[in-house]
Amino acid sequence: MPGPFEYSIWIICTLLELGVVVCALARHSFRRYFTLNLYMTASFVTSVGRYAVLARNGLTSDEYTYFYYYSDAILTICLYFALMGLYSIVFEELGAGTYVRAFSMLLLAGTALFSYGVIHQSENRMVTHYVVEMSQNLYFVGLVLTYVLWGAVLKLRETRARVIQFVLSLGVYFSLYAANYALGNIYPNLGYIWMYLPPLISTLLPIAWCYAFLRFTEDARLAPARLAVIPR
Amino acid sequence: MSRKLSVLFLAMLVLAGAMGLKTVVAGHNDGTVMMANGGAPVPPNPWKVKKYGGAPVAPLSWKVGK
Repeated sequence: MPGPFEYSIWIICTLLELGVVVCALARHSFRRYFTLNLYMTASFVTSVGRYAVLARNGLTSDEYTYFYYYSDAILTICLYFALMGLYSIVFEELGAGTYVRAFSMLLLAGTALFSYGVIHQSENRMVTHYVVEMSQNLYFVGLVLTYVLWGAVLKLRETRARVIQFVLSLGVYFSLYAANYALGNIYPNLGYIWMYLPPLISTLLPIAWCYAFLRFTEDARLAPARLAVIPR
Repeated sequence: MSRKLSVLFLAMLVLAGAMGLKTVVAGHNDGTVMMANGGAPVPPNPWKVKKYGGAPVAPLSWKVGK
C-alpha cells in the first residue's frame, strides 16, 4: 500500500487540480481555456475515483489496475485535446481553426491506427494492451506537438503571457516524464528514484497553470525580446 | 487541395517523429510503461510481473553462437 509520502503528494496534486479549475472560474477564463479546464476537471475526478477504488480493493487488485490504466488513457486523450486547444488559441488570428481541428483528428486517428497495428497480434489481451499502447503513443505525440507549438509561438511572436506559460509548462511536464522514463530504462537499478519522481512531476502542471491564471490577466503580454529574437 | 494534403503530411510527419522518439527513449525498455497523469500510486505493471513464468530466461540462440 502507498505510504504517507505517496498519499501526501497525491492529495496535494488533487487539490492543485481542483485549484486550477477554481482559479479559471474566478478569473472568468473557464470557457476561454475550456480544454485545459476539462483536462484538470477530468484529472480531479479520476483522482477521486482512483482513491475510491484503491481504498476498496487495494493497490495490487485487478480492479485498481484496470481502473488506473483505463483512466490514464482517457486523461492522455484529454491532455491531447488540451494541447490542441492551445494550438487553436495560438493560430486563431491566422483563421486556421478548421485546419487545426482536421490536423488533430487526423493525428489522433493515425495514432489509434498505429497502436492497433503494433498490438493486433496479441488478440487474447487486445483491449488491455491497446489502451496502454495508445496512451503511450499519444503521450509521445503530445511531446512532439508541444515542441512544435513552442516553435510556432516563437515564430509568430506570440506575446500573450498566459499562453506562453501554458505552453512552456506543458513542455517541461512532457520532457520531465520522458526523461524520467528514459533514465528509468537506462538505469533500472535506481528504481526507487524513478518511482518517486513521477508523482512529484505531476504536481508541476497544476502549479504552473494555477500560477498562470492567478498571476496573469488575459491581456497580459510579454515583450517579444524576452522570448527570443527570430527573424521573420 | 494542397492545404489538405499539407495537413495530412504534417500529421503523418508528427506521428513518425513521435514514434521515432518513443523508440529512442524506450530503447532499453524491459516492459515498463510510462504513466503520466495525476499523483495516484501506480499499480504493478501486469505485463511485467509474472511474464512467462518464473523460470530463468534462456540466452538468445543468435547471441550464443556469436
